[in-house]
This record gives sequence, structure tokens and C-alpha cells, in this order.
Amino acid sequence: MSKTKLSRRNFLLTVGASGAAGAATLAAKAVPQAQPVAAREQKRRTAGYQDSAHIRNYYRTAKV
Amino acid sequence: MARMKFLCDDERCIACNGCVTACKQENEVPWGVNRRRVVTLNEGVRGERSISVACMHCSDAPCMAVCPVDCFYHTEEGVVLHDKDMCIGCGYCFYACPFGAPQFPQAGAFGMRGKMDKCTFCAGGPEKDNSKEEFAKYGSNRLAQGKLPACAEMCSTKALLGGDGDVIADIFRNRAIKRGKGSEVWGWGTAYGKPDHPQQQAPTGAKS
Repeated sequence: MSKTKLSRRNFLLTVGASGAAGAATLAAKAVPQAQPVAAREQKRRTAGYQDSAHIRNYYRTAKV
Repeated sequence: MARMKFLCDDERCIACNGCVTACKQENEVPWGVNRRRVVTLNEGVRGERSISVACMHCSDAPCMAVCPVDCFYHTEEGVVLHDKDMCIGCGYCFYACPFGAPQFPQAGAFGMRGKMDKCTFCAGGPEKDNSKEEFAKYGSNRLAQGKLPACAEMCSTKALLGGDGDVIADIFRNRAIKRGKGSEVWGWGTAYGKPDHPQQQAPTGAKS
């Protein structure tokens, strides 16, 4: 087999292998990662209800 | 732990729509979306009653049960909130809610619902407390500022009560005891009392 033919095959093999690797990387990036439940719970946590002077004043006025 | 509730005293509500306006102004609610509205029962008939209605932040919320993407959640205070990033605008919650609380913007193309919007008990959403992102999606987070919903605080006759369920139930119980009527003193047999004149019926709409 001539040297030209061999180098051409090697070139094609290299192109094919790098293409497959690239596609795999892209696919891994494209798949959305599910947000862990714990992280979602943490995000949803808020300061919430506080027994502030403002709220106590509201309750007082509502009693009238 | 306090559980946040709304309670509308129909003896005091004068249908001024102050609560509706306060909600719209506080949360910059867009046109076509009504997080809160005043409903008048037996209009024009003696003994007509008005009540202010919004999301009742149910303990066993039907919207939460039917949501296919599970975007609803309860906060530690029992407020029902939802994640607009997860909402797909399917409208199931709209059909499930007995109070008509879930609203959809009308500005989009025909047949496009957009993200659901509803009363948040002025508790914002899953974004960082009082951040720009939270305000843009859900409106004001007054609860994190140590305040109560704008609608309840704005109510001139204090008909609309909002806050810790135990406290507002006590306030309403005392009012009912003083009046000697309402919630058929005292018990939750019916949520808004019994009609003063049971023989009177609402107009049927038949022309004379």
C-alpha cells in the first residue's frame, strides 16, 4: 500500500475521532442538569413572617 | 409557627376596592391580571354582601395538586407561592382553584397564556428577598420587610384581615361576639355566616 493512501486514512481517522469527541462534549453540555431538590429548597427559603412592631401595630388597629 | 391567612369580614366590607388598588399599586400588576377583586353577593337585594377575594393560600391547595411541573410550594408560614421559571402556562391551576386566584396575562398572542400570576401574600417568590428579579416576576416582598400584605393593611374598615391565622381569628371572633351574630357565634359552621333574611332570594334574571 502506498504511503499517500495510508496518510489519507490516518487523516480521516483523526478527523472522525476528534469529531465524535466534540459531539460528545456538546451533548454533555446541552443536556440540562436537574436542579438538586436541596438547592431548590434553599433557594425558596425566605426571611418570612416576623413579629415586628409594624405588624403588632396592624393587629392593634384591626381590633378597633 | 404562624400560618398566614386572609379573612374578609363581610359585615365591614363596603366594596370600595381599596384592596384591589393597593395590590395593583404595590406589586405593579399588569393590565388584565387581577390578583384580588371584590365580589358582591345578592347585589341590589336587601342584605347584600361584599367580600374581597384572592388566593386563600390553602393548606391543601388544589393548584399545587394539579400542577404538572410541580412549580407550587408552601413557605414555612403556609403561603402558597409558585416558581415562574418552571411554570409552563398550562392553566390547570386556573381550573382547579375554587377562588379564581390564578391569572394569566392577556397581552400575548391569541392562545398563548404566558406564566401564571397570583397573589403572593406580598411574600415575593423564590428569588433573593427584595431583589429586582423578584420584584419583576412576583412583585413586592413585604413579609420579608416585617410588613403584611398591602391589601389588608390598606383596608379602611379593616374588613380584610391578613396575617397570623390565630391572631386574625381571635380578632374576628371578638367582633362576632360583640355583634352577637356571624359565624354563628362561635363556630365555623359556615364561613361567612347565615343570611339575615333567608326568605329573600337573589334576582333570577327573568324579565317582568
